[in-house]
Amino acid sequence: MSVQAAPIATTSTARRALGRLAWTLVPAAPFVIVTLIWIMATGILNPSKETLPPVTDVLASIKELALSGQLATNVVASLYRLLLGSILGIVTGLIGGVIVGLNRKLAESLNPVVVFFNAISGIVWLPLMITWLGIGNALAVFLIWNTVFFIVFQNAALGVQLVPEVYEQGVRALGGGRWQTMRSVILPGALPYILTGIRTGLGFGWRALIAAELVGAATGLGTMIFDAAEYHRSDIIVAGCLIIGVIAIVMDRWLLLPIERRTVRRWGLVADTEKE
Amino acid sequence: MSLVSVQHAPAARPIPVPTGWAVAARQLRSVKILFPFIVLVAIWWAIQAAGNFPDRVLVSPQRVFDTMVLLISRGVIAEYVSTSLKIIGIATAISIVVGVPIGFAVGANRYAARSLEGFLRFLQGVSGIAWLPLIIIWFGFTHATTLAVVVYTLIVPIIFNTMIGTRAIPEHYGLALRSLGAARLRLITDVYLPGALPSIVVGLRLGMGYGWRALIAAEMLVRQGGLGDLIFGARTSGQIDRIIGGMIIIGTLYLLIDRMLVQPIENLTIARWGVLRK
Repeated sequence: MSVQAAPIATTSTARRALGRLAWTLVPAAPFVIVTLIWIMATGILNPSKETLPPVTDVLASIKELALSGQLATNVVASLYRLLLGSILGIVTGLIGGVIVGLNRKLAESLNPVVVFFNAISGIVWLPLMITWLGIGNALAVFLIWNTVFFIVFQNAALGVQLVPEVYEQGVRALGGGRWQTMRSVILPGALPYILTGIRTGLGFGWRALIAAELVGAATGLGTMIFDAAEYHRSDIIVAGCLIIGVIAIVMDRWLLLPIERRTVRRWGLVADTEKE
Repeated sequence: MSLVSVQHAPAARPIPVPTGWAVAARQLRSVKILFPFIVLVAIWWAIQAAGNFPDRVLVSPQRVFDTMVLLISRGVIAEYVSTSLKIIGIATAISIVVGVPIGFAVGANRYAARSLEGFLRFLQGVSGIAWLPLIIIWFGFTHATTLAVVVYTLIVPIIFNTMIGTRAIPEHYGLALRSLGAARLRLITDVYLPGALPSIVVGLRLGMGYGWRALIAAEMLVRQGGLGDLIFGARTSGQIDRIIGGMIIIGTLYLLIDRMLVQPIENLTIARWGVLRK
C-alpha cells in the first residue's frame, strides 16, 4: 500500500506544482497570444510598415530610443509633470477633503459644484488652459492637478465622514484636543480611503497627462508619439504605447498597491467596525 | 429569473400629495443646488469686470450666455451635441454586445479570469488616446477613429466588471440549473445575466465616464465635429465664449446622461438583483 501510495503522491504533488506554475504563468498568456497574432499578421498580410510595424521594428526602435537618450528625456519629462501635478492634487485634495468631510453643512452646500467640476475635470480644460497658460509644463501640471484633486478630495471627504463618531468622542472624553483627535483618529481612520483616492487619482492623472502631451507640450511620451505620427513612424507609436502601459502597471502594482494594502491591513480596523 | 430574485418589492406607500410646504421646500432645495453656482458666476463676473481683460482671455458670463443662445437658436450646438451623442451611443452598444459575452466566457473559468485581468489592466494603463495617432493612420481623420478610441476605453471596464460579477455568482446556482436539465443558453439567461447584472451596470457606468472623456479628447484631435471639436476649434480663433459655453454643455450633458439614465438603471438593477452581491 505504501509502495503504491508513493507514486500517486508524487504525481499529485507534481500536478499541484504544475497547477501552481500554470497559475503564475497564466497572466502572460494574453500578451504571448497577442504577440503571436501580431507576428502572424505582419507575416501573412504583409502590411506596409506604417499600418502595422513588425515586432522586430518596434523592439529596434525601443532600443534606439533608449540608447539615444530620447526615451529617458521623455519619460523624465512626463514623470516630472505627473509628480508635480499629483503632489499639488494630493495636498489640495486632502486639505479640502478633510475640511469638507468634517463639516456636513459645508459638504452639502458644496456638493453640486464638486459634482459639476468633477464632470469636466481634466482634459475638458485643455482648450481654455492653452489660451491662459500656453503650451508647456504649467498646462500639463494644471490638467493633472485638476484630475487628481477631485478624486483625492472625494475619497478623503468620504473617508473622514465614515470614521465612527464613537472613536472621536473617546479621544475627546480622554481630554484630547481638536488637533489630537484629528491626528490620532480622523486621519488614520480615513487613510485607507485617502490612499485608494491617491492610487486611482494617479492612474487617471497619467492618462490625462498623455492626452495633454499630445497637443500641449514640447517633450514627454505623448509628444513623442504624436511627433512620430507626423513622420508615419508607427514603430515609435507602438513602442511609446507599450512604454506608457508598462510605466502605468509598474506604478500601480509595484508602488501604490503595496502601500495601499499595508495601510489597509494596518488601519483597516476602522472599516471593519463600520460594518457592524 | 425567479431563482435569484429573493428580494421583495417594498409595500406600496401612499403617494404624498404635495402641499404648499412641500412645494416650497422643493423650490428651496433647487435654489440651494444653484446657490454655489450663483456665487461662482458672481466671482467670475467680478474678476472679469475688475481685470479689464481682452476678449481673447476672458469674457463676461453675459457674453457666454448670449453666444450660447445664438448658437443654440441656429442649431449649431444641436449638431455638435448630436455628433458626440451618436458616437458615445454606438460605442456603448458595441461595448455591451462584445464585452459582456467576453466577460461571461472569461469569468466562467478562473484561469482565464486571472490571465485576462493583467492584460486588461495593461490596456487600461495605455489610454485609448495614446493609440490615437496609430488609429488615425489606419482610419484617417474620421468618426471611425473617434469611435475606435471610445470603444477601446469603454469596453475594458465592461469586460472587467462582467468578469467579476460572473465570478461572484455562487457555483451551485449554475449546478442546480444544470442538474435540472437546463441548456447552456438557459444558464446564461437565468443565472449569469441576472447574477452579474449589477456588476455589469457598474462597469457600464464607469466605462461611460471614461469613454465620455476619451470622446472629448479624441474629438479635439480628429476635428470632425462633436463637442471636443467645438471647444478646441474655438481656441484657434480665440473664442473664449464658445470654449466656456462648450465646457458647460459638456459637464451638463454628462451629468444628465449619468444621473438621468445610467444611475437609475444601476439603482434598479441593484434593487432587483443586488441580492447576489455580498
